[in-house]
Amino acid sequence: MSNKLIDLSNISKAYGGHTVLDELNLYIRENEFLTLLGPSGCGKTTTLRIIGGFETPDSGQVIFDGQDITHLPPNKRQLNTVFQKYALFSHMSVAENIAFGLKIKNKSRQYIDDKIKYALKLVNLEGYENRSPESLSGGQQQRIAIARAIVNEPKVLLLDEPLGALDLKLRQDMQYELIRMKKELGITFVYVTHDQEEALTMSDTIVVMNQGYIQQIGTPEKIYNEPENAFVADFIGDSNILPGIMVEDRLVNILGATFQCVDEGFGKNTPVDVVIRPEDVDLVKPEDGTIRGVVTHLIFKGVHYEMEVTANNYEWLVHSYEMFPVGTEVGIRVVPFDIQIMNKPISEDEEAVNLEA
Amino acid sequence: MKQALRRLYLGLIFVLMYAPIVTLIVLSFNKSKTRAKWGGFTMQWYRNLLENEQIMNAFYTTLIIALLSAIAATVIGTMACVAIQVMGRRSRRALMAIANIPMVNPEIVTAVSLMLVFIALRIGLGFRTILLSHITFNIPYVILSVMPKLRQTSRSTYEAALDLGASPLRAFFQVVFPDIVPGVLSGFLLSFTMSLDDFVITHFTKGPGIDTLSTKIYTEVRKGIKPEIYALSTLLFVTVLLLLILVNYSPEKKESHVKKTITRATRIRYMALRRVLPAFMALVVIAGGIYYGSQSSLTGGDSVIVYNWGEYMDPAVLELFEEETGIQVIYEEFETNEIMYPKIKTGAIAYDVVCPSDYMIQRMIEENLLAKIDFDKIPNIQNIGSTYLEKSTEFDPGNQYSVPYCWGTLGILYNKTKVDEPIDSWSVLWDERYADSILMQDSVRDAFAVALCSLGYSLNSTDLDELTAARDLLIQQKPLVQAYVVDQVRDKMIGNEAALGVIYSGEAIFTQRENPNLEYVIPKEGSNIWIDSWVIPKNAQHKENAEKFINFLCRPDIALMNFDYITYSTPNTAAQELIEDENIRSSTIAFPTDEMLENCTAYRFLGDEMDSVYNEFWNQVKSN
Amino acid sequence: MKRRRLLAGPYLFWSVSFIIIPLFLIVWYGLTSADGGFTLQNIAKITTPENLKALGLSLLLAFLCTVICLLLAYPLAMILSQSSLSQSSFIVLIFILPMWMNFLLRTLAWQTLLEKNGVINQVLALLHLPAIDIINTPYAIVLGMVYDFLPFMVLPIYNVLVKLDQDMVNAARDLGANSVQTFLKIILPQSVPGIISGITMVFVPAMTTFVISDLLGGGKVLLIGNVIEQTFKQGNNWNLGSGLSLVLMVFVIASMGIVNKYDKDETGGAF
Repeated sequence: MSNKLIDLSNISKAYGGHTVLDELNLYIRENEFLTLLGPSGCGKTTTLRIIGGFETPDSGQVIFDGQDITHLPPNKRQLNTVFQKYALFSHMSVAENIAFGLKIKNKSRQYIDDKIKYALKLVNLEGYENRSPESLSGGQQQRIAIARAIVNEPKVLLLDEPLGALDLKLRQDMQYELIRMKKELGITFVYVTHDQEEALTMSDTIVVMNQGYIQQIGTPEKIYNEPENAFVADFIGDSNILPGIMVEDRLVNILGATFQCVDEGFGKNTPVDVVIRPEDVDLVKPEDGTIRGVVTHLIFKGVHYEMEVTANNYEWLVHSYEMFPVGTEVGIRVVPFDIQIMNKPISEDEEAVNLEA
Repeated sequence: MKQALRRLYLGLIFVLMYAPIVTLIVLSFNKSKTRAKWGGFTMQWYRNLLENEQIMNAFYTTLIIALLSAIAATVIGTMACVAIQVMGRRSRRALMAIANIPMVNPEIVTAVSLMLVFIALRIGLGFRTILLSHITFNIPYVILSVMPKLRQTSRSTYEAALDLGASPLRAFFQVVFPDIVPGVLSGFLLSFTMSLDDFVITHFTKGPGIDTLSTKIYTEVRKGIKPEIYALSTLLFVTVLLLLILVNYSPEKKESHVKKTITRATRIRYMALRRVLPAFMALVVIAGGIYYGSQSSLTGGDSVIVYNWGEYMDPAVLELFEEETGIQVIYEEFETNEIMYPKIKTGAIAYDVVCPSDYMIQRMIEENLLAKIDFDKIPNIQNIGSTYLEKSTEFDPGNQYSVPYCWGTLGILYNKTKVDEPIDSWSVLWDERYADSILMQDSVRDAFAVALCSLGYSLNSTDLDELTAARDLLIQQKPLVQAYVVDQVRDKMIGNEAALGVIYSGEAIFTQRENPNLEYVIPKEGSNIWIDSWVIPKNAQHKENAEKFINFLCRPDIALMNFDYITYSTPNTAAQELIEDENIRSSTIAFPTDEMLENCTAYRFLGDEMDSVYNEFWNQVKSN
Repeated sequence: MKRRRLLAGPYLFWSVSFIIIPLFLIVWYGLTSADGGFTLQNIAKITTPENLKALGLSLLLAFLCTVICLLLAYPLAMILSQSSLSQSSFIVLIFILPMWMNFLLRTLAWQTLLEKNGVINQVLALLHLPAIDIINTPYAIVLGMVYDFLPFMVLPIYNVLVKLDQDMVNAARDLGANSVQTFLKIILPQSVPGIISGITMVFVPAMTTFVISDLLGGGKVLLIGNVIEQTFKQGNNWNLGSGLSLVLMVFVIASMGIVNKYDKDETGGAF
């Protein structure tokens, strides 16, 4: 996790007058597993395609290992891509697919054969050399696509929603596989997804994007626990996002009740957004709570119960191991540390983000 | 740079595809009747178009057949697709393979096979058979357009509709059909276009009195295309072009680019503009056609079916006849005796009156194909010169079966500016100096007559040695020949394309009118004198009408009208005297002197066996 | 579902009556003589020198026409599939619209263009360029064929190319292939089904035409289609004509068989 391998500076891109990326700045460190996360249309795939060389930015620079590669064609770049729908060459066998890049580079027959074996072993598909890609399942095709990319020993592997087309179980398996491969290969992964759980599971760094802007960059923990704005909070996991007023340092008024918190420096009587994760809402006896409410919905979720509690005209989402039947009067309490205070959006863009979300 | 190259390439292809079309459009404004020469700008052909019943009929036949066959093919094809979708793999494959047969099978084989089946089933060749054939070759286009769309639709939506209580029919029309409508429509349009453009299959399956534009044009190719056809094609083309522009540049389209999700309503509106509107316009045109057709064909059941050479009668004569007698003329044309003969022989079509040449009449009499003419019904026979009736006895002993219509000789038409010496011998056609400047007749007997005469043999020779010599002579001549054509000799000579052309005397008068440098000669070695006469086939259904028709043609004023129109010599001496132009009345081309005809012989029918020898030798010449 | 299958009834009836039975009739006529007895003579007639020559020339011209069409059509299909301008209307403009001008007329117009004193030569003379003299030769016929059948080559190739997964091209580039390598190793092999179907749709009509050779060959060039047409229409010998048609059919099926060996699945199609 040392020096910057890829540096994107002031990247803008528009299609037919519609801005997709606006002055984007981002760097990717060597050996990092970086995930671009956001809803569809947020610009994450365009960012990846600009790194891969399939798109040229309207303005801005792409620096790779200290070199400007903004206008370099994809075949001259030291990185490889795993495409969303695999893009396997259907007229070639599995082995020919994997050998494609190596043959272009005029590697020896022996070298190529060894590489194919190694790659197939890495993706757990030994013995599939002569199969046709179309005879493979989606998951297997995905692995071949990865194998085809990594035999070229790229410094960076770009993955464009590689698990999007797989079913849930397979997707979870592949997540672990990818982490394992990444460790074995010791190279940089740039990963694009709209699945926040996937991002949280695998990444070293998550870049949350929306409408062409980066909303937050940080480790999974930081993104989850300390979302910087309502969009991030809402996009990452379920949240209660409540309007509040920062009375003074460490004291916030939410829905008319005053809660203790740990945030400082917002000034006095400032309107803010407050994020409280559902699992951080403690349900207690009515008289012990900061505010009172009534349980209106109850669903058993396996590990926990999911409940909705109406309190002070707000539907609180609550995850708890304890069950409170519908109609029960409860008190709501939140530990100060679990209250996350965010500035109200200032720019119009952020406002737009809010409305969209 | 790359973009510029691409544009350039697209431009070149565009020029390639449109050069002929522009040519045709230009020709539609050409004052000269031949396409070889620009005679100034005129709108005349557009004005004449609506009055030209033959062309308009052919046009509307084309449209009606295209519409009916496209509708039928769309219904049958779509039904088949719906059924195929639920079939097992094997039967699906079999059906799709059958659908592919007309697409892969050579068109000519499909055409021939259809013709054979119609004749075997005794379905008279005509409108019905063309329609059936067009439906046959259109169905695959519909299946291939609809099937992919149907495959995209999920079967479960149909089942869901059934589950919700819809009847299968309702489920299909409400759930499945809207999804495949684009495929169905494009299948329909494709069928319509294909039917419109078809020639080969129509050529083989059509009957008498019916022509589509294609077959009409093919007949006319040999005589020179009527400029009205260019005008019609131009109108058709421009109409479709305008429709396309209207549809493609409607604001609806731009909107749909912006919208990412096209709602069903906008899709239907879009479709309506793009597809339904043109279809509707086409319908209007066709409805007009049916109206037009009904007007011209509802004139009562009394008719006469005439089978004549192409461009061998003034259309005004036919109108006059219809007007005076109330008998409707169904008029059909042929290009050569050999094309006409089998149609009479097989009797598939009951023609009432036909105009073959001498040797063919002899053959038909010998084969008992002709009916004796009742000359009491043809008083106008007195107008025919006795010399011609006498000549006719060579092939029609006793003058029982035929009434002479036109006559002439075979000779050389030459361009005075392109030859140095006086032309008087067939041998000039073997002169190397005129290489690639010689036009030969594309017909067996005429070509062999030229060779046999120049060798000093009889043009009715049955001697194999003589024929072999003649064949070799023709093979030797082939490198010098620019083209073997029939009536195009005329256009090409007018357009200064060649120096020498073998031609019938009748054409010579017309060509001289258009290009004064042309001169006609009957070579000294002798040549063919021919007579085309009217005969009545045995199986004629309207013999009395046929006799009325022949009698009408023998009227001096009518014979004169025809002479003015076709410029072939008339045996009608009464008409000859009526000719106003002194030059033509005394022209030795139109009416050669007896001594000029001294060496000229008529063709005789030489028997089936000799016929096939001639044909085989001719094929050897042509394929050498 | 059973009842739905009945919908194929009219089609089945139709194809049996007007596709299958007619083909059997050709076989029957082809293998019998005029008096009805079995004979192979009609088939054997193909071996006469003039028929063989016509067949050979048909094969040659059809082959030439197919190659030229392919060479012209592929770049065109590529350009059309890549360009952002509304290609579909261009395709309609180039290929569908001309069909509303009768095919015989369009072909005939080439006569006017190609003749010695024709439009093209007059333009060439104005530019002081040597005249081209190809009318009434096999070259003119090939030109006419290319003109008439080019759309049938472009459309299937275009259809395959538009459907080509752009990411497959990207993947090849990503793996280090330059644009030439990408074309040769990915785009070309991927478009094989379209090429095959284009070849079929051009070769067969070119092989069997009689109209184009009639109109542009000046009657000097006899193709197998002309022989068959004349046998039916002028010679009125249905047995011989059917026999020759049978041979032609066998030739076409054989050629297509060879071509289709290279087509693994039937994904190509013009529509």
